[in-house]
Amino acid sequence: MSAVLQNLVNQPYKHGFVTEIESEIAPKGLNEDTIRLISAKKNEPEWLLDFRLKAYQKWLSMSEPNWQNVHYQKIDFQAISYYAAPKPKKKLASMDEVDPELLRTFEKLGVPMHERAALAGVAVDVVFDSVSVATTYKEKLAEVGIIFCSISEAVQKHPELVRQYLGTVVPVGDNFFAALNSAVFTDGSFCYIPRGVKCPMDLSTYFRINTEGSGQFERTLVIAEEGASVSYLEGCTAPQFDTNQLHAAVVELIALDNADIKYSTVQNWYAGDENGVGGIYNFVTKRGLAKGVNSRISWTQVETGSAITWKYPSCILRGDNSVGEFYSVALTNNLQQADTGTKMIHLGKNTRSTIISKGISAGKSNSSYRGLVRITPNARNARNFSQCDSMLVGDQCGAHTFPYIQVHNNSAKVEHEASTSKIGEDQLFYFAQRGIDSEEAVSMIVNGFCKEVFQQLPMEFAVEATKLLSFKLEGSVG
Amino acid sequence: MNESKNIDYLTCLFKSLPAQSNGSLSQDTLPEDQKLWLKRLRAQAIDKAGQLKWPTVKDEEWRFTDISPLTRLPFKPAKAGHVPGLSETQPLFIEETVNRLVFIDGFFAPELSSIADENQLIIGNLDTLATRHAHTVSTHLGQYVQSQQNLFTALNTAFLHDGAVVVVPQNTVVDQPVHLLFIATQAETTHYPRSLIVGEANSQMTVVEDYVALQADNGAYITNSVAEFKLAANAQIQHIRLQRENVNAFHLANCAVSLDYASRYQAVNVAMGAKISRFNLDISFKEEAAECVIDGLALITDEQLADTHTCIDHLKPNCTSNQQHKCIADGKAHAVFNGKIIVRPNAQKTNSSQSSRNLLLSNEAQIDTKPQLEIFADDVKCAHGATVGQLDKEEVFYLKSRGLSELAARNLLTYAFGAEILNSIPVASLKHTLEQTVLNQTRSC
Repeated sequence: MSAVLQNLVNQPYKHGFVTEIESEIAPKGLNEDTIRLISAKKNEPEWLLDFRLKAYQKWLSMSEPNWQNVHYQKIDFQAISYYAAPKPKKKLASMDEVDPELLRTFEKLGVPMHERAALAGVAVDVVFDSVSVATTYKEKLAEVGIIFCSISEAVQKHPELVRQYLGTVVPVGDNFFAALNSAVFTDGSFCYIPRGVKCPMDLSTYFRINTEGSGQFERTLVIAEEGASVSYLEGCTAPQFDTNQLHAAVVELIALDNADIKYSTVQNWYAGDENGVGGIYNFVTKRGLAKGVNSRISWTQVETGSAITWKYPSCILRGDNSVGEFYSVALTNNLQQADTGTKMIHLGKNTRSTIISKGISAGKSNSSYRGLVRITPNARNARNFSQCDSMLVGDQCGAHTFPYIQVHNNSAKVEHEASTSKIGEDQLFYFAQRGIDSEEAVSMIVNGFCKEVFQQLPMEFAVEATKLLSFKLEGSVG
Repeated sequence: MNESKNIDYLTCLFKSLPAQSNGSLSQDTLPEDQKLWLKRLRAQAIDKAGQLKWPTVKDEEWRFTDISPLTRLPFKPAKAGHVPGLSETQPLFIEETVNRLVFIDGFFAPELSSIADENQLIIGNLDTLATRHAHTVSTHLGQYVQSQQNLFTALNTAFLHDGAVVVVPQNTVVDQPVHLLFIATQAETTHYPRSLIVGEANSQMTVVEDYVALQADNGAYITNSVAEFKLAANAQIQHIRLQRENVNAFHLANCAVSLDYASRYQAVNVAMGAKISRFNLDISFKEEAAECVIDGLALITDEQLADTHTCIDHLKPNCTSNQQHKCIADGKAHAVFNGKIIVRPNAQKTNSSQSSRNLLLSNEAQIDTKPQLEIFADDVKCAHGATVGQLDKEEVFYLKSRGLSELAARNLLTYAFGAEILNSIPVASLKHTLEQTVLNQTRSC
């Protein structure tokens, strides 16, 4: 059993390469001057600088959390460079003008942008080391009034929207890493769906971390006006580096009356080698506010990369009849650690939430599900269903479950269930009987285990995720 | 949370220690060398208690249970006082038992107790047995309960002066349940009940640990109890724990269970009383093939708070644990459940299940539940589940369609919810009494 699994586990990172692009890097360290520099470089209005400085002050007064079930060496926040931008070039009008080196990088990652965009009808807003360099399908989206651009562009062109919503779901002092992000975020995506518009295509961004030693602080803001709906995809891969890279992103979603936001993530950042050297620290604050009546926020995530994944995509269900969903697959291998889950805060009447979490641990990794379901006194007839299952591959890994359930009114109905299992010898035997080797059998079993989550992903992502899990676990069962 | 107040409270407690240590144990009834170990045990606990901090809601373990009201009252350690008459205590006795140890405010009351099987088993109060069976008692006392991180177990040991001891020798089966009755009579005091239950190899017994207040409305007091259970190979113990303190009381309890090869521990914990109660149950599977079945019921109303923390630690392979905990909260009551199951790296073939089911009867009642799994072995079967809800409208409707009134239907369903736990109590008369209590309580709502 363990031999095949081991092979699976020992699968080297396929996307490890560094693109040689000249970067403009700010000196290491964080102080007010760094923040002013970022703000000045990005030509930001005064209110945004104030926002950053306020966050910085908050951050200074906060201490790093220590309740998490992940362990890492203390991060020296003064040893990080907070700004790295590809050398400014003239604005690009078409794909042909994009740096061919950059295009080749995406090619290697298996994301032939134009091809993919044309085939799948996906508009890809490419974020490469904090600065957006190309945006496709923008015009098509603009026809229906959708704004989909980098957040720095949005700050310039639609400051009133950004100002109205930025920091309303994740306040600047929300937590240590969110405060840091609010102070130093360099870029990210902005998406605004106007009233009554159903976004005609899936929106997607690719986050990439390049330039060794530069932390990436993405900021994403998605706003769906009354009756609007959007499906947003985010996929991640990163080159192989030895120094740990901190990624502290903040994602805010706001859904007004009858709006619907679906946010999907496939994360496959560099996880470090089999000895746990290197790898990304993925400390992300993701939160959606279902503000209006009948609104819906749905998170789907497939987390396979990063040395440490530590995030809780959450839903605040404020509007009556609003719906929150969380579907997650977290796969950890070697010395990877994951502490992930969700929070469902029920504030409005008749709010409903669903949590499906699947954790797979292999090698010496540890994965935790940590979730909170809170039903406040006014959330009459709230309903929650949670299911978190873990699968252990090998006897040196760990799976942990920390579900917090807090119910403060009697009309609520909350159900939680969790189970832990392994791939049984009898299951493998059954497959062998049918002429399927153990490797393929494991892949099928794992994909079956995660099916409920994959079903939630958009088609092309589901295919990618299935492949990803298969090759991540290749050769770990014998 | 006033930090200085807590320190005051602890200082106060420590000041009262010397007075306590002149209690019954040091009245030179013991030869010097034999009570030395006990003195040492207490001295260690005093040291430990001095190093530990008063827990606040900022501590994860105490997040939902604010025990700061305890510090606002100057609770002195209880002193031996008036022993109530047989007529007052008789209703609390269990008819099936022939062995009964009664403690009034933590002090042994021989006139109310009854020891029938002295030849068959070691039973009695700690004060007596620490002399007569010094070796047995000293090998077990204080060995199972975790006092490194736990202020209240340390305090209990620090103030240790008497307690219940039951040791069932090898290959002995005790037919009748043993009743340990801890009665509180004095207001504004703290008492420290202590129990040590040992089942030697191949033995079997049933024990009822019972905390009760004599008057339903006497003032506030604190019970800080510790119970230790040791089950040797193939031993079987059925443990029924009842917490029926008065509604002003604070009940802080720790129970530690150590399981050897193929032993079986079955527990029913019922919490109905106290203003704030906290029960920690720690079960360690020290050897293979052991099994535990734990059922719990918290039935609370008004402004009561009942907190149950259990930790089932699977240290060895091939063990089975099965837990079911139910809370029924009415009024403004607040029920807390935290059930932790740890499966250690070598504990393969562990089979563990846990369910936390909660019923909210009023709109102001609240439940915090956290069934927690920490698993480090791959070949295991672990499942847990939690539900929170109110009575099913369909079920109420069904009963109404059969001619029951709304109230009767609701009471019947509530009763049935709780009765599932009470059904596993093996002592018929006790089961009947508790069922009546549940019925009465549900009837009032």
